[in-house]
Amino acid sequence: MKITVDTGSCVSSGQCVLLAPEAFDQNEDDGTVVLLAEEPPAGAEEAVRQAELTCPAAAIRLSGA
Amino acid sequence: MTTTEETPRLPFTRANALAIAPDYDVLRRQAPVSRVLTPAGDPAWLVTSYEAAKEVFRDRRFGRSHPAPEQASRISHAALQNGPNGDFDTEERDHKRMRRMLAPAFSAPRMRALGDRIAELTDRCLDDLQAARDAHPGEPVDLTDFLAFPLPVLVICELLGVPYADREHFRGLSERIAVMNGGEDAQAAMAEFMAYMTKLADAKRADPQPDVISDMVAVQADDPTFTDDDLARMGAGLLFAGHETTSTRIAMGTLFLLSDTARRDRFAADPDGQVNQTVEEILRLTATSGTGLLRYAHEDVEIAGTRIMRGDAVLISSDAANRDASVFADPDGFDPDRTPNVHLAFGTGAHVCIGANLARTELRTVFPKLFRRFPGLRLAVGLDEIPVRTNRVAGGVERVPVEW
Ligand code: SF4
Repeated sequence: MKITVDTGSCVSSGQCVLLAPEAFDQNEDDGTVVLLAEEPPAGAEEAVRQAELTCPAAAIRLSGA
Repeated sequence: MTTTEETPRLPFTRANALAIAPDYDVLRRQAPVSRVLTPAGDPAWLVTSYEAAKEVFRDRRFGRSHPAPEQASRISHAALQNGPNGDFDTEERDHKRMRRMLAPAFSAPRMRALGDRIAELTDRCLDDLQAARDAHPGEPVDLTDFLAFPLPVLVICELLGVPYADREHFRGLSERIAVMNGGEDAQAAMAEFMAYMTKLADAKRADPQPDVISDMVAVQADDPTFTDDDLARMGAGLLFAGHETTSTRIAMGTLFLLSDTARRDRFAADPDGQVNQTVEEILRLTATSGTGLLRYAHEDVEIAGTRIMRGDAVLISSDAANRDASVFADPDGFDPDRTPNVHLAFGTGAHVCIGANLARTELRTVFPKLFRRFPGLRLAVGLDEIPVRTNRVAGGVERVPVEW
């Protein structure tokens, strides 16, 4: 499973970081999402999926099996 | 055409603090978007379904400003969330600027850094709660006085750089601006609130600190279109929001956990393991204001088969959307195991609540600490005796008397 983020549409809400800190962080300057892992780290799949669903800007995509 | 007599008027009444008004369910069954009258008596659309709420939140054809503000539907006679806000021509630009300015201060990394401080402040509040109990043994203690109110205020004061010593002053102002039929008094309180903020901004201009008001002052120095008035209004808005909303959630979350002893015991047995999902469920179920979030259509739009005309007021009821049975099984049930739990308590889209991370961090700190320290906490009165605040923009309850 692959994670992609669209920093252009990210609204810097940081919901992803609170939900799945293993996979996401935020840029210190403008709060935009920083992807820490290309794939959901072991044990964090559910949290990453919740982040995809919760992201207010629909800026997170999970693809593949 | 429905006549005015037949159009339901907000706010709807509810059975108790933990329930939402059954009218939302009735309306949602009829249509995702319904015609209602605002508390001020003006026509508006009320969005009650989850999908339609999400659609409106994400649709950029809706905003907080109005193409012709003097003709806009009014929501209430409070001094905020009462009608159109901002400039129709520059709203999007202004909003982007605000997000860019505030995002770093409210970001998850900053919240992580603030976490220890929030924990410390929570402990202090819990000490005060215990002291109040010790001072009058056998008498119930009001959790709103010692925890639900002071904690969010302490935290927002630190973040914004507002002296905590001034809290009685701006607590009074915050209450007055949010009274739904406040009228002139609400407006006078808002003017006073903005004057207070302006004075504070002047102090930060002379002596900048690592806080949000200083950040705003710095942005203003580079951007002359960001007026003193904008700054004062935004500062007052943030201070107000920091007060009322999280405070409501702490009070209501405690009520949810205490209203069923088995639920409380389950949480108290493993607070750290359960807190994240429990907090999401509290956020989903907490019914807030009786009106929902306000938008105006910036052009003609069709939502879920309903034609909404440019300038129409739209109220998005997150309370109703969060209990939509087509998305949440057993929607009125408190189920911390619910997954996924993609509620709309903070809205979504470009206007998603900027304080969401702050609120989550506070709530995730408070409940484990509260129940680790007082695992036998219980309500001192029946749920029906908890008075709901119907006349406030942020809703909430008057008090939460507890004992242990
Ligand atoms: S949740 Fe979405 S909008 Fe918010 S920071 Fe993460 S990617 Fe950006």
